[in-house]
Amino acid sequence: MVKGNWALFEEDFWSINAILQTLMRSASARSVMLIDKTGQLINSIGEPPGFDVTSFSSLAAADFAANAQLALMVGETDFATLVHQGQNESLYLSMIANRVILVVLFDRKTSLGLVRLKSRRAGEELLDVLNRLFDKLQYRNEEIGTPALGADFAAEAESEIDSLFKD
Amino acid sequence: MSLINYSSREINCKVVYYGPGLCGKTTNLQHIYSRVPQETRGKMISLATEMDRTLFFDFLPLELGQIRGFRTRFHLYTVPGQVYYNASRKLILKGVDGIVFVADSQIDRFDANVESLMNMHDNLAEHGLSLDKVPIVIQYNKRDLPRVVSVPDLEKELNPQGAPFYEAVALRGTGVFDTLKLACKLVLKTLG
Repeated sequence: MVKGNWALFEEDFWSINAILQTLMRSASARSVMLIDKTGQLINSIGEPPGFDVTSFSSLAAADFAANAQLALMVGETDFATLVHQGQNESLYLSMIANRVILVVLFDRKTSLGLVRLKSRRAGEELLDVLNRLFDKLQYRNEEIGTPALGADFAAEAESEIDSLFKD
Repeated sequence: MSLINYSSREINCKVVYYGPGLCGKTTNLQHIYSRVPQETRGKMISLATEMDRTLFFDFLPLELGQIRGFRTRFHLYTVPGQVYYNASRKLILKGVDGIVFVADSQIDRFDANVESLMNMHDNLAEHGLSLDKVPIVIQYNKRDLPRVVSVPDLEKELNPQGAPFYEAVALRGTGVFDTLKLACKLVLKTLG
């Protein structure tokens, strides 16, 4: 498992995107999101959600983290999936590779059973892509150790910070 | 941990405000929220009790804009300061890129600061982290109140590693942006 920062490269992004697209279509879901377990959105596809996806991501990660602690208390290692069922909209969340959370937003046009089945398949495919990505990052972090963004980036970011964050 | 997405060209970093109960962590975020341009900030979320005490966390996303073609965002979190919410504090530290430790300068909160700092070290260690890897900025808050501990005394007890610090009055906004700016810059240095 990769420790420290992680990065998503172009080809991995498109592989992930294709899996999420297939999942959304085959499960007749409204939208599908992939969220890093620290609460950062990796990708969102489908109907543009009518809510703030950044906030949504941080709450989904917190939801998962809190439930993982509840699982430990009742003697489970984790709760690998969570379901939140509303009157019209529902959410199906599953943890993949202990690193990212797959979120499916669906309504009454489909069923929880179908969403669960398709999510499980998508989860297996995502696991392959993520494992390849983590291997690549591990190699980069350990063997190459090249700076990801360069000194120019930090300098430009600093001046942006100075101009934005002031009283 | 920061997430760099080379495809959508985005960078997301997580900064956590840590400190004892009622030291002013949420006040820091509220001041930031009220002063940054609307297009820079996202929605502020507070999971708080009816008494406005933080129950799980506060969350404020900030967007720096495009830097060298990367859309750069900072996600600011606070932890609940009250001692019995440690499970929540531990969860929020997961994946942290930078820490702001907000200390309450009042004499009768001195022990609470020390306890919170020790608790932070313990919780970081549980994630395999330490202040060698995660940059920290210390903020000595409530400097306007009577009966406060002197800064040298606070430094001696809370900052033996010599991390950068600011004096602050978060309610009035004094020192809030200095602290935030430095924390963000230190985080970005770890990426470069």
